[in-house]
Amino acid sequence: MTLQECYSALGGDYKDVSNRLFNEAMVKRFVFKFLNDQSFSNLCNALDRADYEQAFIAAHTLKGICQNLSFTRLYHSSQLMAEELRGGAPDVQNAQRLLSDVAEDYRITADAIRRLQAES
Amino acid sequence: MKQATDEKKQTILIVDDAATNREFLIAMLEDDYRILEASGGSEAMKILREHSSEIDLMLLDIVMPGVDGFEVLAMMNDCGIIEDLPVIMISSEKEPSTIERAYKMHVTDYIDRPFNAFIIRRRIVNTLNLHAKHRRLKYIITNLVYEKEKNNTMMVNILSHIVEFRNGESGMHVLNISAITTLLLQCLVKKTDRYHLSQDDISLIIIASALHDIGKIGIPGKILNKPGRFTPEEFEIMKTHTTIGDQILRNIPLYAQEPLVQVARMICRSHHERYDGRGYPDGLKGDDIPIGAQVVALADVYDALTSERCYKKAFSHEKAYQMILNGECGAFSELLLDCLTDIHQDIIRELNTQSGVQRPTKLLENLVSDLMEYNEFTDLVYPLKQIRKEHEKESFFAERAEELRFDYDSRTSIVILSAWGAKLLGTDKTVHNMLESHLQVMNEPHVKALSEHFHSASAEAPDVEEDVELIINDKLMSGKLSARTLWSDEEVPRYIGVFGKVTDLKPVENR
Repeated sequence: MTLQECYSALGGDYKDVSNRLFNEAMVKRFVFKFLNDQSFSNLCNALDRADYEQAFIAAHTLKGICQNLSFTRLYHSSQLMAEELRGGAPDVQNAQRLLSDVAEDYRITADAIRRLQAES
Repeated sequence: MKQATDEKKQTILIVDDAATNREFLIAMLEDDYRILEASGGSEAMKILREHSSEIDLMLLDIVMPGVDGFEVLAMMNDCGIIEDLPVIMISSEKEPSTIERAYKMHVTDYIDRPFNAFIIRRRIVNTLNLHAKHRRLKYIITNLVYEKEKNNTMMVNILSHIVEFRNGESGMHVLNISAITTLLLQCLVKKTDRYHLSQDDISLIIIASALHDIGKIGIPGKILNKPGRFTPEEFEIMKTHTTIGDQILRNIPLYAQEPLVQVARMICRSHHERYDGRGYPDGLKGDDIPIGAQVVALADVYDALTSERCYKKAFSHEKAYQMILNGECGAFSELLLDCLTDIHQDIIRELNTQSGVQRPTKLLENLVSDLMEYNEFTDLVYPLKQIRKEHEKESFFAERAEELRFDYDSRTSIVILSAWGAKLLGTDKTVHNMLESHLQVMNEPHVKALSEHFHSASAEAPDVEEDVELIINDKLMSGKLSARTLWSDEEVPRYIGVFGKVTDLKPVENR
């Protein structure tokens, strides 16, 4: 699996990211690092505790990272999540629905990266 | 060697709560810059408080748990760091109101995500280059201004010191006069604007006050140092020091038109005039006497009364104040006497605490307030304030340390002692010509040996450690002396002084 194939599997924009970061090696390095990033689990934990302020910060960070890596699919769902949480008083049902979208997109993204990691 | 190259690299502080984001930036920058990281606002503030002068640029995230980016910016604006340290905000916030708020809080640049690695690097490099140049210039100017001011004041002091030296007076007279003149003028301009004194006029009068007695150089030493009363003929000669001073300054080639020289001439000539018209040399009356001369005359009388002279003992501050108010010494305007009343306690405090450590602080205070008047220089104020803070810290600790500390300048032969040390030796904090004064703290052979050790140290190996014996209150005490000698910047450095301390003082058992 090539990096480019990985990007199509996770619903990202390879052309965009390779235009913005120095080279393929660097893109790859940060794509792998994404697996260590804590913002998705921080988001889940904060929502469990109904701590919407921390949840907003986590969603906001996740959105920013996806934006930088051109993970377009996960970017869209985490952005919607962050906007719902901004201000600290979300519609709880809507937040739960958005969280399941984020979780699904995160799973797709992480799976694709793990496959790339296994094959390279 | 890594450290050596690291020191030359500029330093960037990255503030972001997400490790992934920091790693992104580090990967792009670590080859060319030294990186500091903060994972939140409060950590960033801590680093800024301790290391702000080492940091060349800050990359700041907005949304962070706890203290967020805007709160960090607010703190930097409050304490002025923002003037000296450029900040680039990096955020995925795209709201124009947020971006505008950041710029209003003086960030240099705002970069939104997703960023292009090439462009972000270029923007960082540009900001750094621009700022580094600006910062270097600022420090050069700050130092130049400070040095120049210091040298000016020093030259004037040396000059007047020469006059006083011949007069057998301590070098403190000049410093006291300038301190009292400063306080009087500050009070006067608060009370009235009838003399139209600008800040420039005031600093000229203060500097020129040191030259008020320069004409005494033309008075024969026999008369100048006569302990008893003058004969009428001698008094007539003595009186001419006013016009001689005026003349000397008038005849200075090149600088005769300089404001400082003009003000100094006026002070030399008229500082013995009396408000009631019975003074000399011109018998001027009331406000025909230039205000600078009136003020310096009052400062001169006050310091003469409270100091010991060859013909009299020192009066107490209270007694001197009463004598002046009662018209026993000179005649002054009501307004100036009111000023004296208002600031009398300040004078006492000022004259009692004047020491070598505090004078540079004063100088810096004046510089800071001068520079505040020019908008172009407001960003010089922050580094200057930093220097001032250092001086203040230094003097604070010096005042309180229970140590015999000393600081000797061989060019002026002045020793400055710590407050505690001066008390221990039963002397003033500033001692002129220690070896020749009444203060005998060491036996003569010891003094010679120690002086030789100081001279045989060098700029490369300036430190001297040795056991010494001191005579304190007629008792022989032993102690350890640790000192650093000071050397001039010339190609062949000359010994110019030494500072240090004596510790572990113990009585010497009878041998």
